[in-house]
Amino acid sequence: MSSVEISALRKRYGEAVALDEVSLTAQQGELVTLLGPSGCGKTTALRCIAGFIAPDGGDILADGVSILATPSSKRDFGVVFQNYALFPHLSVAENVGYGLLFRKCSKDERERRVAEVLDQVQLGGLEHRLPRELSGGQQQRVALARALVIQPRLLLLDEPLANLDARLRDDVRWLIRDVQQASRTTAFYVTHDQAEAMAISDKIAVMKNGRVAQFASPREIYQRPVERYVASFTGEANFLGVQVERELCPGRFRVRAGSAAFDVKGAGPFTPGTKAVLLARPESLAIAGVVAGQLQGRVTKSVFLGAVQHCEVVLPDGASVRLGVPPDRSLPPDGTVTIKLDVERAWLMPEVAA
Amino acid sequence: MTVSRVAGSTLIVLLYGFLLIPLVAVVAASLTAGDFMRLPPEGLSLRWFARFFQRGDLVEGLLLSLQIALVTTLVTGVVALMAALASQSLSRRLAVWFQIGMTLPLLIPELLTAIGLLFFLYKIGLGKTVLGLQIGHIVMAFPYCYVSIAAALRQIDPALDDASGSLGASGWQTFRRVTLPLAMPGLVMGAVFAFITSFDLYTVSLLLKPIGGNTLPLALFDFLTYEFSPTAAAAATMSVLLAFVGVAVIQKLVGLQRAF
Repeated sequence: MSSVEISALRKRYGEAVALDEVSLTAQQGELVTLLGPSGCGKTTALRCIAGFIAPDGGDILADGVSILATPSSKRDFGVVFQNYALFPHLSVAENVGYGLLFRKCSKDERERRVAEVLDQVQLGGLEHRLPRELSGGQQQRVALARALVIQPRLLLLDEPLANLDARLRDDVRWLIRDVQQASRTTAFYVTHDQAEAMAISDKIAVMKNGRVAQFASPREIYQRPVERYVASFTGEANFLGVQVERELCPGRFRVRAGSAAFDVKGAGPFTPGTKAVLLARPESLAIAGVVAGQLQGRVTKSVFLGAVQHCEVVLPDGASVRLGVPPDRSLPPDGTVTIKLDVERAWLMPEVAA
Repeated sequence: MTVSRVAGSTLIVLLYGFLLIPLVAVVAASLTAGDFMRLPPEGLSLRWFARFFQRGDLVEGLLLSLQIALVTTLVTGVVALMAALASQSLSRRLAVWFQIGMTLPLLIPELLTAIGLLFFLYKIGLGKTVLGLQIGHIVMAFPYCYVSIAAALRQIDPALDDASGSLGASGWQTFRRVTLPLAMPGLVMGAVFAFITSFDLYTVSLLLKPIGGNTLPLALFDFLTYEFSPTAAAAATMSVLLAFVGVAVIQKLVGLQRAF
């Protein structure tokens, strides 16, 4: 239970740069997710924090004190591994109680704490099973219990749901979030799944080629991404190429896309006359009756999904956008539609990352 | 389909027969009541086993062989475990060369190793001593032990090391509580291999044997040169029994399914 500050962490493997000036902070009790595709450095960062590998540069502070010189066995961090890494020759209770063997803890207290934490992860009654006699979800919960029982200063989770099927994934994800919040344990969570990251995190660090592209709350990342990469990695995203006309007031810009003009929000600064990218999530777009000054397009695909119908619309400039329309809405036979943009939910981004 | 199945079964029966008939023949010959190794045995008796223990040269050979095999097992077990652990921290390319180095005595003809050892042991003043012979046996038995232990260690998920460390275990505690129990099947099997290899070794023993000392295979060979009595078959039967004991030890300690 502590705050963690990572500053300018660097790590190379030969020519490949795994971590490039990675800086993150986690306040006490926060769950911070490192989100990115494979090879983006998120697992390397986690392994540096855990102490399994040493970074080439930068520092990691826990409660303001550098821990780089502390071996992993003295850091008091609980780690949950992607493949669980349970000890195959030990029973569930022995696996969970393993970390307490190396702490001042009587046999009675050890048994009590193991029973307590097994109860917390809903594994009571399975104490004497071996890991191979458990299902994947149960194994993952043993791994979680084993990391939690030592009351770690920091909980590190490396793709903990990657090997579970979809239904179990939700259950275990809720469980992780619940016990993490109940114990007020600071946590770092690594995943490549944006929905998982959105659902579980206090803050998300979207990583790209060893760098942190954006570090902010899930809401901020989704609604106000700093670049195209972040926007497309955190959900369905449409990008419209636009021209900036002028700044109306701080943080609001008039842009032109073909014949249509919009007054949209953005972080700026944008120089008038330059090109920029307008992010329009599917929920900010709707099909409307013909209105002047809006985007015209032609529906090329539509899929009926029950609660909603997904459409792909091609704009005159060749770009295509995806959006949802109410399921009972019929589309014109020639497919020509007008698209209405909710300017309050659109977001203007620079063409290339700053 | 059925033809190939019948052919396959026949082949397996022939194979087992080929492997087992010598054993059956030796055991049967050792139980004879007659005076010669002959099949079928002429009546049943254990007198050739009694005779074996009355022969001072054979019993001495048996004792020396047992002593050397035991020391070989202990030394190779410990050293091969340490070498196999060390090989895990090597890069993949280095590990291949390390493995070749560790198994070199398997790749070089036994006679060549024996001659090399003979020169070397004389050079360091251990020629024709029990210690010299012991060193020879350790060299010959080491690769079997090493291969078995290294294979067992490779099966262990490297993340278990990290997991154990992150939970507060020191390197030694991780070794004792995680690595050693998981490597145990390979270790037991390697030890049994080392014991049997040493117990059966002939060429190396012949060149390195101490003055006035004989291992059991050497004593038996000498014995057979002068006398063709069922005592030799009795000795061979006891060797077979020892091998069965080895298999029973593996079964008892780790279970055969896990060892192979």
